[in-house]
Amino acid sequence: MLKIEHLKKTYDNFSLDCSMEVQPGCVTGLVGQNGAGKSTTFKAILGLIKMDGGKVTILGKDIKEFTVKDRQKLGVVLSDSGFSGYLDVKDVVSVLGNLYETFDPLFFRKQAQKFGLPMNKKIKEFSTGMKAKLKVLAAISHRAKLLVLDEPTVGLDVVARDELLEGLRDFMEEEEDRSILISSHISSDLETLCDDLYMIHEGRIILHEDTDVLLSDYALLKVNESQYAALDKQHILRQKKENFGYCCLTNQRQYYLENYPKIAIEKGTVDEVITMMIRGVEK
Amino acid sequence: MKGLLQKDFRLMVKQSSFFSTIGFVAVIFASVVKDTSFIISYLTFIGFMFTLSTINYDEFDNGNAFLFSLPITRRGYVMEKYGFGLIMGGVCWLFGTLIALISGQVRGTNSIQDTLGIALVFFPVMLLILEMMIPFQLKFGGEKGRIAAIVMAGIVFIVFLGAAKIAETMHVDLNGLLNRLETMDERVLGVLVAAVSVAGLLLSGRISVSIMEKKEF
Repeated sequence: MLKIEHLKKTYDNFSLDCSMEVQPGCVTGLVGQNGAGKSTTFKAILGLIKMDGGKVTILGKDIKEFTVKDRQKLGVVLSDSGFSGYLDVKDVVSVLGNLYETFDPLFFRKQAQKFGLPMNKKIKEFSTGMKAKLKVLAAISHRAKLLVLDEPTVGLDVVARDELLEGLRDFMEEEEDRSILISSHISSDLETLCDDLYMIHEGRIILHEDTDVLLSDYALLKVNESQYAALDKQHILRQKKENFGYCCLTNQRQYYLENYPKIAIEKGTVDEVITMMIRGVEK
Repeated sequence: MKGLLQKDFRLMVKQSSFFSTIGFVAVIFASVVKDTSFIISYLTFIGFMFTLSTINYDEFDNGNAFLFSLPITRRGYVMEKYGFGLIMGGVCWLFGTLIALISGQVRGTNSIQDTLGIALVFFPVMLLILEMMIPFQLKFGGEKGRIAAIVMAGIVFIVFLGAAKIAETMHVDLNGLLNRLETMDERVLGVLVAAVSVAGLLLSGRISVSIMEKKEF
């Protein structure tokens, strides 16, 4: 569906070298700190910035050969950009209808009503949540094959986020070969939605794992100095010095549960794994 | 391109109060000012400049990033801007010519032939101004674009002045050349101005496409 091979982009104080893949029928998450390279990756995929090297293939086609017709198969949400605030939702329906051959105005209007989006109000007068809902709605209402969503839930409250995620799940269920690439700061969104996760740090992918595996097999071991000394470190990915001793990240939780019953083992969450992957050191 | 035109027309309709003001000012001019040809240039200029204002709207709040993720090309975007400018300029030019014709006839200030002659000259001249401004607007954006266009106009003026001085030292009779232009057949002059205008449109369009293709959002 989407394949990125050594996508390179260099700025004065930042360089990106990213490889990742989104499989058909899958929701893939891209997580990382601010400035890690998420938005740069998204912009390169969409042709908004020029690549310095590498290759991006979308729906089996090189991005450089992507046509207007091919672009109709993409649905896009960008965190810092959207429709002109001077338009209203009625205008958006009309514009999208003229841009996408497969735009479904009935679906759009129905969902807009469900999301509580007024048709005649200027977008600049919308709340942050309403703007975010409109962006996602515009992306899912033309039967896209691939959604590229950069921080679609930013600024949303819990209920609104849940509504949006529900909308994305419905989108995936309608056709089995649809895919989503999504980035978010809210790890709970990704934990419940994504099939696999890529972690990006300082422009490099530092981890790729199935979400189920990450949540079941990754764990934090909290050990004192003597426990640390006796610990088998072959399955330790990162470690960090703490007041009590060491905090260690493993992807073999069961192994340590069985062999070290006396040490404190906490289940890994996406947030904790990110923190350890970034702040921890390799053993 | 249809979607982009739709967007720009809808953005423009939102400025209906601005339109009413322009229409009102045009009518006031038509009833007060003796030389009604001003109305044609005023309305045509405003019409052409609408396309610059839509470029500003697109850039506002980093809107271009989303816009260019939609199924459009950069070349298509540029073509739409020129197309929109021509439509708006054309409609305003027709409207201005109509007001000038009516005013000229009612007040007996300008003949139909004179007004139409002036209108036919103003359209390509105003188009040339648009052709000059669009690439600057695309390259530098809003305020900076306008400043750059003014600076460019100044440079062009200085270059022409310099060329005239050089021609003078080389004993080339520029006044004679200008006099020949003035006495030239109106139809030939019209074709000449239109040809310059179309050539300018093609050149300006090409420059704009190259600017947009280099842009990152």
